[in-house]
Amino acid sequence: MSRERLVVVGNGMAATRLVETLIARRYGGHITVIGEEPVPAYNRILLSAVLEGTHRVEALTMRDAEWFASVGVDLRLGSRVLQVSRERSDVMLVDGTTIPFDRLVMATGSIPTLPPIRGLVQVNGQLHPKVHAFRSLADCSRLLAELTPGRRAVVVGGGLLGLQVARALGVRGVATEIVEGSEHLLSSRIDERGGSILKRGLKKLGTDVYTGARAVRLSDDGLRLDNGYTLETDLVILTAGGRPSTALARQAGLFVRRGVVVDAHLASITDPRVHAIGDCAEFAGRVTGFVPPAWEQAVVLADRLCGGEATYSGSRSVARLRASDLEVAVLGDPEHTEGEVVEVTNPIAGTHRKLVVQGGVIVAAALVGDLARVGLITQLHDRRTVLGPHEPGELLMAERPSSAESAELPDDAEVCACAGVSAGRVRACRTLDEVRGSTRATTGCGGCAAVVAQLLSTTRGQALRHEVTGADAREGNGVPSALNG
Amino acid sequence: MATETHCPYCSLQCGMRLAAATGSTQDPLPARTALEVREWPEFPVNKGALCRKGWTSTGLHRHRERLTQPLVRSAATGELEPTSWESALDHIASRLVALRDEHGPDSIGVFGGGGLTNEKAYQLGKFARVALGTSQIDYNGRWCMSSAASAGTRALGLDRGLPFPLADIEHTDVVVLVGSNLAETMPPAARHLAALRARGGQVVVIDPRRTPTADQADVFVQPVPGTDLALAQAVLHQVIADGNVDDDFVAARTSGFAAVQESVVSWWPERAERVTGVPAREIRALAALLGSAERAMVLTARGAEQHASGSDIVLGWINVALALGMCGREYAGYGCLTGQGNGQGGREHGQKADQLPGYRMIDDPAARAHVAGVWGVAPESLPGKGRSAYEMLSSLGEPEGVKALLVFGSNIVVSAPNASFVSSQLDALSLLVVADIVMSETAARADVVLPVTQWAEETGTMTNLEGRVILRQQAITPPKGVVSDLGILRGLATRLSSPIEFGDDPEEVFVELGRASAGGRADYAGITYQRIREEEGVFWPCPSADHPGTPRMFLSSFGHPDGRARFHAVEHRGAVEQPDDDHPVHLTTGRVLAQYQSGAQTRRVRDLPDDGPFVEIHPMLAGRLSIDDGEVLRLTTRRGAMTAPARVVDTIRPDTVFVPFHWVGANLLTNDALDPASRMPEFKACAVAVTPARSRSGVSE
Repeated sequence: MSRERLVVVGNGMAATRLVETLIARRYGGHITVIGEEPVPAYNRILLSAVLEGTHRVEALTMRDAEWFASVGVDLRLGSRVLQVSRERSDVMLVDGTTIPFDRLVMATGSIPTLPPIRGLVQVNGQLHPKVHAFRSLADCSRLLAELTPGRRAVVVGGGLLGLQVARALGVRGVATEIVEGSEHLLSSRIDERGGSILKRGLKKLGTDVYTGARAVRLSDDGLRLDNGYTLETDLVILTAGGRPSTALARQAGLFVRRGVVVDAHLASITDPRVHAIGDCAEFAGRVTGFVPPAWEQAVVLADRLCGGEATYSGSRSVARLRASDLEVAVLGDPEHTEGEVVEVTNPIAGTHRKLVVQGGVIVAAALVGDLARVGLITQLHDRRTVLGPHEPGELLMAERPSSAESAELPDDAEVCACAGVSAGRVRACRTLDEVRGSTRATTGCGGCAAVVAQLLSTTRGQALRHEVTGADAREGNGVPSALNG
Repeated sequence: MATETHCPYCSLQCGMRLAAATGSTQDPLPARTALEVREWPEFPVNKGALCRKGWTSTGLHRHRERLTQPLVRSAATGELEPTSWESALDHIASRLVALRDEHGPDSIGVFGGGGLTNEKAYQLGKFARVALGTSQIDYNGRWCMSSAASAGTRALGLDRGLPFPLADIEHTDVVVLVGSNLAETMPPAARHLAALRARGGQVVVIDPRRTPTADQADVFVQPVPGTDLALAQAVLHQVIADGNVDDDFVAARTSGFAAVQESVVSWWPERAERVTGVPAREIRALAALLGSAERAMVLTARGAEQHASGSDIVLGWINVALALGMCGREYAGYGCLTGQGNGQGGREHGQKADQLPGYRMIDDPAARAHVAGVWGVAPESLPGKGRSAYEMLSSLGEPEGVKALLVFGSNIVVSAPNASFVSSQLDALSLLVVADIVMSETAARADVVLPVTQWAEETGTMTNLEGRVILRQQAITPPKGVVSDLGILRGLATRLSSPIEFGDDPEEVFVELGRASAGGRADYAGITYQRIREEEGVFWPCPSADHPGTPRMFLSSFGHPDGRARFHAVEHRGAVEQPDDDHPVHLTTGRVLAQYQSGAQTRRVRDLPDDGPFVEIHPMLAGRLSIDDGEVLRLTTRRGAMTAPARVVDTIRPDTVFVPFHWVGANLLTNDALDPASRMPEFKACAVAVTPARSRSGVSE
């Protein structure tokens, strides 16, 4: 039998991870990757960091063309697929080339949705020159070129991407406002209290937020909202969601709801030769829009293509805002998951933390303004650790690192582990030299020097009041003891 | 008159003086003299400082448990019974010859240790290859720093734990300690951290526990056990993102950066946060700190290395140091904080399954020819590569495996992973011979126990964690009835009709070691006992008598033939065994200040506190399990179980427990999954069930 011909439509993060895993697993077939963008695969989720200036654009590339060539993958950049034919088992590119396949992977991602704002699109069919999408490296570069000081921007959409873009513009010195149609920011992920804390946080950082307001018209005066305001602006950035890119799949007759519907093998339920992964795939009624599930799908699919038996059963999602001075993490879907809710909101400090707990397991969480415990909470969530009744509450309490006040140390407390010296024996000394000479405290690692100094200062002048305690006598560590103080 | 020597324990090899408490000035002192430890303030590594292990190190002299007669297990009673040296060695030799005749030389194994002097390690390798003719020799250093050795060799072309003197720490700007608790494991080393901080430098500690070392740090990062590589990848990701790569250095002195850059593009801090449990903000701050430092050091220790992906973890951190342009510069770079006393020298002179003296590879024909020439045997008579430590132990008693094992300087029963399996393997041997100073847990299982001289009763060199060759000098006459390891090898070699003689004078052996190592990576040819005495140790490589030695390596060239350091693209794999419903907690293991390794020495020193093992557990986890401080806990993994009292402390991650490994227990639990490159077992991370010992069902309610 000849080598299996695998065609991957898309060269985004899911496709790259799939190809990397196939290569690592020594997949025997021949791989063709068709990418619409003219540039090599890059890390799309870091685009807002590039916009913010916290990530160098040159360091976004995940796999360059040389790598694909070196592992024998046929990479077609700047190529768009016009049509997928399941009957002929081939894909046709816009230039008329056809590429036959035995297996096809749709990794076409998502495309930004255009909100219903009059004036967005000009008579000639092009976007208004002030309007920017923010999906691709080209979008990012185009927007960066517009960021001259003193300009004003409106970000349409108060979701994760909208907030990241708004913060990036703010950091760049662009006066920025956010327009969000629903009643609060991040409305699909966090509750109203969390949203309002975020809003206040943004306000402090200089970004105004209009919630419950829809942009309805873009004109030379500015962007008009349905509450009557008109925001004067030089830039309008559309971040209000995307939808799975499924036109090719529909046209090929694959079953599509929101995304290409796939089974636990990540195969279309219409045609087992055709797979879909990443943002364009719909599994168990869900499309995800996040990288980790896309990568989990890529790894499962790679295993199956290499003859393995892996199956996909869904992913736990963790949404993390990546923007300076805004701290948000959303684990799972806290607004739509059943469970007991444990939460602490402190609008004064600007923090809101909420855990949704089912049978002791954190099944969802929202953390706004305080991510000190995000690492631990994420671990407990991802591992489905069964917690005790007090733990969710304790997780939301401030951590108080134990710092022993040396003045209160009992005489038998060990202060110098290197030499095995108790507080009492240090107190029995009058000077540091005496401590060093008679107990050897501070002469090992030196870590106790501060405590010893403090013990000496609190006992100085009253040294004789302290009697040598029994603890000293018990400590036979072979060191001459300070019995005579 | 005091003898200048070095502490018998860790790789710091602190300088100290030994003198008679009585004031006697005989040299060496009579056997029953009470010894006293005194400062040696001039020795630069510790400048007179010692920890309590050092101060009390003479506690094993005149010890009532000291073995002074050979013991052979009686066929009639099954007990170990005293015998003469002649009959003990005759007995061993006749059994070895019979096994060799029947099953071939590879049926005999030799197990060495990282506490043996260079002379002993060298002689042991030669004894195995020539007197026994076996390929089956390895040592407990596999369980120490082998992952760092493997990574250092691959990345820098040569493995010397620290490529600079320890005191250089004081002159860097930022030092990152990955999985090192040196304030407890080698306390005098922490003085250099204090000096660095006094100069305005910063100390970063990465550890699942907030250790006493972390308490002395400016930055403390507390990852999930087994996720150090994800952390390194994210730090490098951010260093690149920030534009802090030293492009000139990378271009001029390294190769392979492009592939590494691509491999870390997918490790943005928020992704690493989910894997490591370290908030993304801390990762960014660490990267920024490193990126802005003029000079930085990254030092790994067992916490990073003792994993089934340990060598990749170390490579990941070396990648960080290389990208920042820190390696091969003064007061900067990557280093490994070796653990055992002679963990460095012990890995250079041929007690490793794949190596010959001078850090030569046993499958290199030129290396074989050179070493065979020094030994006066034919190169083709030398066996090839043998099994690594844990693989050798796994083979014990198996049809093609090792049937007789000679153990020098190691207490396998306590220190091997998956210890109950290893103990049963030891019991399957036809012959187990253990040379030790006391009845260790391993000696207690032996067929023959040979009492040997200990520290201060004999002379020999060690190579400390800096690559500094130092001299431990005899101060006192050994008790009657004990023989040095070198003497045992000599006695056995004669009885085994070895084609060459084995001397037992350490200085003569060292001279021969110098010739055997000449031209190798770890070249000792120019080092003499006299030079060591005069120069406060000599750093290898030191190829000739007029060579000053090499305190700082790589300043002009790395160890690879092209002189460049090599980046290695690595991927985070995580601990082999992840927590699940049955074993929901991470277990990690480590050391306490007052004990050393398997505790065979320190547990017997009266003046060192020995409270036995304990379980560090966070108040949150303790609350979940309704456990009080001091309550006895039962820990269960897929391999074994142990009980120990709880120490409820908020210094450990709430999803992790910690057990020290100096007692039988911890290693009944640990995972024997091996690193593919270094053959290091995964001591530092496995999944455990924690229950109060009062509920015997193993199920917590």
